[in-house]
Amino acid sequence: MDRAGPGKTVGNSGQGEGGYVRRYLSVLALVAVLGLVAAACGGDDGGGTGATGATSATGASGELQPGGTVELAMLGDVSAAFDPQKEYYSVTWEWYRCCLLRTLLSYNGKTTAEGGADLQPDIASALPEISSDGLTYTFTLKSGVNYGDPFGDVSVTSGDIVRALERESDPDASVGGYNFYYNVIDGFADFGAGKADSIKGLETPDDSTLVVTLTEPAGYLPYLFAMAASAPIPPNGDAPLGAAEGHTKDYGRFLVATGPYQFLGSENLDFSVPADEQTPVAGYEPGKSVQLVRNPNYDPATDGLRPAYPDGFNISIGGDNNDLYNKVQAGELDGVVDGIVPPPVLRTYSTDPTLQPLLHINPSDAVRYISFNVAQPPFDDIHIRKAVNLALDKAGMRTFRGGESVGEIAGHIMVNSLEDNLLADYDPYATPNSAGDVTAAQAEIAQSKYDTDGDGVCDAPECSNILAVTDEADPYPDQAALIQQNMEPLGLTFDVKSFERTTMYAKCNEPEAHVAICLAPAWGKDFPDGYTFADPLFGSAAIFPSCCNYELLGASADLLSKAGYTVTDVPSVDDQIKTANQQTGDARFQGWADLDTTLMEDVVPWAPYLFDNNVDITSVRIVNYSFDQFAGLAAYDAYAIAPDAQ
Amino acid sequence: MEHALTDGGPDGPIDPEATSVEVSQQVVGRSPWELFWRRFRRDKFALGGAFIVIIMFAIALLSPVLASATHGPNEVHLDALDSFGIPTGPSSTFPFGVDTAGRDLMVRVAYGARTSLFIAFFATGIATLIGVTLGMLAGFYRGKIDTVISRTIDIVLSLPVLLLALGLVSACGLSPNGCLGGIIKPGLLLVSYVIGLFSWPYIARIVRGQVLSLREKEFIESARSLGSTNRRIMFREVLPNVAAPIIVYTTLIIPNNILFEAALSFLGIGVPQETPSWGRQLSDAGSIFTVAWWMMLFPGLFLFFTTLAFNLVGDGLRDALDPRTGG
Repeated sequence: MDRAGPGKTVGNSGQGEGGYVRRYLSVLALVAVLGLVAAACGGDDGGGTGATGATSATGASGELQPGGTVELAMLGDVSAAFDPQKEYYSVTWEWYRCCLLRTLLSYNGKTTAEGGADLQPDIASALPEISSDGLTYTFTLKSGVNYGDPFGDVSVTSGDIVRALERESDPDASVGGYNFYYNVIDGFADFGAGKADSIKGLETPDDSTLVVTLTEPAGYLPYLFAMAASAPIPPNGDAPLGAAEGHTKDYGRFLVATGPYQFLGSENLDFSVPADEQTPVAGYEPGKSVQLVRNPNYDPATDGLRPAYPDGFNISIGGDNNDLYNKVQAGELDGVVDGIVPPPVLRTYSTDPTLQPLLHINPSDAVRYISFNVAQPPFDDIHIRKAVNLALDKAGMRTFRGGESVGEIAGHIMVNSLEDNLLADYDPYATPNSAGDVTAAQAEIAQSKYDTDGDGVCDAPECSNILAVTDEADPYPDQAALIQQNMEPLGLTFDVKSFERTTMYAKCNEPEAHVAICLAPAWGKDFPDGYTFADPLFGSAAIFPSCCNYELLGASADLLSKAGYTVTDVPSVDDQIKTANQQTGDARFQGWADLDTTLMEDVVPWAPYLFDNNVDITSVRIVNYSFDQFAGLAAYDAYAIAPDAQ
Repeated sequence: MEHALTDGGPDGPIDPEATSVEVSQQVVGRSPWELFWRRFRRDKFALGGAFIVIIMFAIALLSPVLASATHGPNEVHLDALDSFGIPTGPSSTFPFGVDTAGRDLMVRVAYGARTSLFIAFFATGIATLIGVTLGMLAGFYRGKIDTVISRTIDIVLSLPVLLLALGLVSACGLSPNGCLGGIIKPGLLLVSYVIGLFSWPYIARIVRGQVLSLREKEFIESARSLGSTNRRIMFREVLPNVAAPIIVYTTLIIPNNILFEAALSFLGIGVPQETPSWGRQLSDAGSIFTVAWWMMLFPGLFLFFTTLAFNLVGDGLRDALDPRTGG
């Protein structure tokens, strides 16, 4: 696996942090931060199910009327200027899914309960046929799915999907993206490395058929064809990459849509001239604004997934989180895409019955946790790691984020929807009121080699001034104060260093930084399958320079010694991940649940504390809201504007 | 005409003018300190300022006592937050309310006085040391030394101070090891250095100007003709005579430096996050003051009164030490 960076990240701090994913990318040049939901994600991910308040699908009795332009704001720009092979960011994923790009398979833009985690045929006419050995997937395409301007008369063919994946395999075109997922396709990596003329495992017997061959069974494969990296790229003469030819760095600004919307000015794109003479779309000014208008070539008859009520979207980029939410309250904006509802605003909308319908709270399939470096004393001792799990006041950690509505207390690692709720009531470190249990924690400490007199208080020097890293944005510093207070009775004291978010993730990810405990990470799913909570987090291939195995699970003795660790042997779950990934159906859910319990009880790499919710508020003129479980954000095409406000 | 603060023994000149004024009125000889004090104590604003400064010092020194009597500065009180994590206001338990982490704001503000006063004096000390040394050298030796030092002053004064300070603090504050091979580590000291490095030119300029005129005075000539070395002249003759402006300007840059620290902390790059600082407290309050006014009011009041007090004292000192301004 040659992933180069953290996965899609989940952020979510109180401050206007919209650009953190972008910054992270630019610093590391490759990031697959799965979890930062940050501010950047106006709710980017989340996960719990015990949310209070309104749920998705509000609305509106009576007919919803199409029309009007939705006014939105994003605190930060998207992470890779809308380039579908590079974007590894939930906000962009939602703009692709709802509006710009159709894929062979997709989602209905609703919650898990409403089928939002289930794959639906989109460009494909049905779900793929899978061979009995699990190695061959055959997709059949619908006819009559056309591109947006300027290719309105061109229909999508299977070769266009192959074109997109060929671009995805090119490390330059997909930098910062998630091409590691596609390595399971036979010949994908070889093509990217220039060792082959085509991707052997992608065959197109005709324009409406795509046959995918894998090197090993991988139950998550269909999900890869619901991600924008596999969205068709139209042909352009005989250029191998079609419309994307010559746009290795900036295809996003020349993006040819397939969805119900396209960038304003797409009709002026001229792909007949050389790439460097082409003028980008007017509807996207990086760092400033995005304007989407209806795609005149889109035929709703071919699409059952997108209601597409508004006529368009005006999205401003930049601003201050509090200001933007004030504008939503004042009706100047309809919503904030990547903001964090400030606690006072959340309180107002939660307690005022007339405002409650405008508050939308949904589990966003992300987890927040504290990670332990299992190679760094004192966290090389499982008793210390268990003790932290027991002593942590998880309810207090949640209070700092805004209280019960921001999510459900996490008792384990994977969000429940990825395990079919098999572990919904599981919490091996449950404490009264989730407020931590010092006595139980001290009993663990007493078994540790770092507690020489066995009194339940760590007395070894390793337990003092432990290097901890956290995010400098709210509410992480407040949380850090609580963590320190919780751990003090155990004899654990910390040297807490606060960093800007991308730096924080980089420090946690780098073995040579010897960060013992990372206080602020979060992780959101890439697609509704446990694999995205397994391999990129706990697989040994996800250790630096890849991402995001901060715990160094499965690190080789060689790697540990090179990074300056005295610990030579750390636990590994590589085999268990592989086993689970070969399963399908219910056995697959069970596989992930088993991995989760192993991690929680026998490995203890984390102290997870919150399954995040996405919290949105909308203006009064939005009369329909739907939550897209895939991206963990509002399904923007489902926003409907009240007829009298259009 | 400059005013000597010491009567200086055989080498030190006594300012003839100031003394003669007093002599004509009261016929009693007074030391310059006595004269200063007589003027200063007539200035009610300056006395009030001095009183506040003393109180702030007391608060800073006694903050651990306050903490042990109430709550520790880092003690988190989750029960002082409402169910949305919003802090509660002043109460009998928490007279100033709590901050977003549920910490006693009164104790935090008291600890903030330590940070502010430490910065005020340490950073100002650095600035004064550099400023006086370079100012004296430039004024005394003139020529190339003066040119080099004066142009350096011009350059430092023309730098965009806040931007550069931002850069320095973030560069040295990013890594736990600091920068320049670990010489400069992040924290209170780093901030002090940065502030000191940007405030010395004001003092250097004043001192240089004073020394330039002093070095032509007769008492310097006489010292020189008696065979005094340059060093002796600088330390025994010149320095005592520039002490008054040094004291005045030092006092006046103290509030500037307190505000500088507050600004840096407000921007999130000042003292370390867990260190209580008025600037950081104000910054934290920024996003929530509409529902938690106390988080902005109390640190703001303390910052305001402290800087005001130092300014009043500085003005009083100037009036009392410089007879030409009356007083």
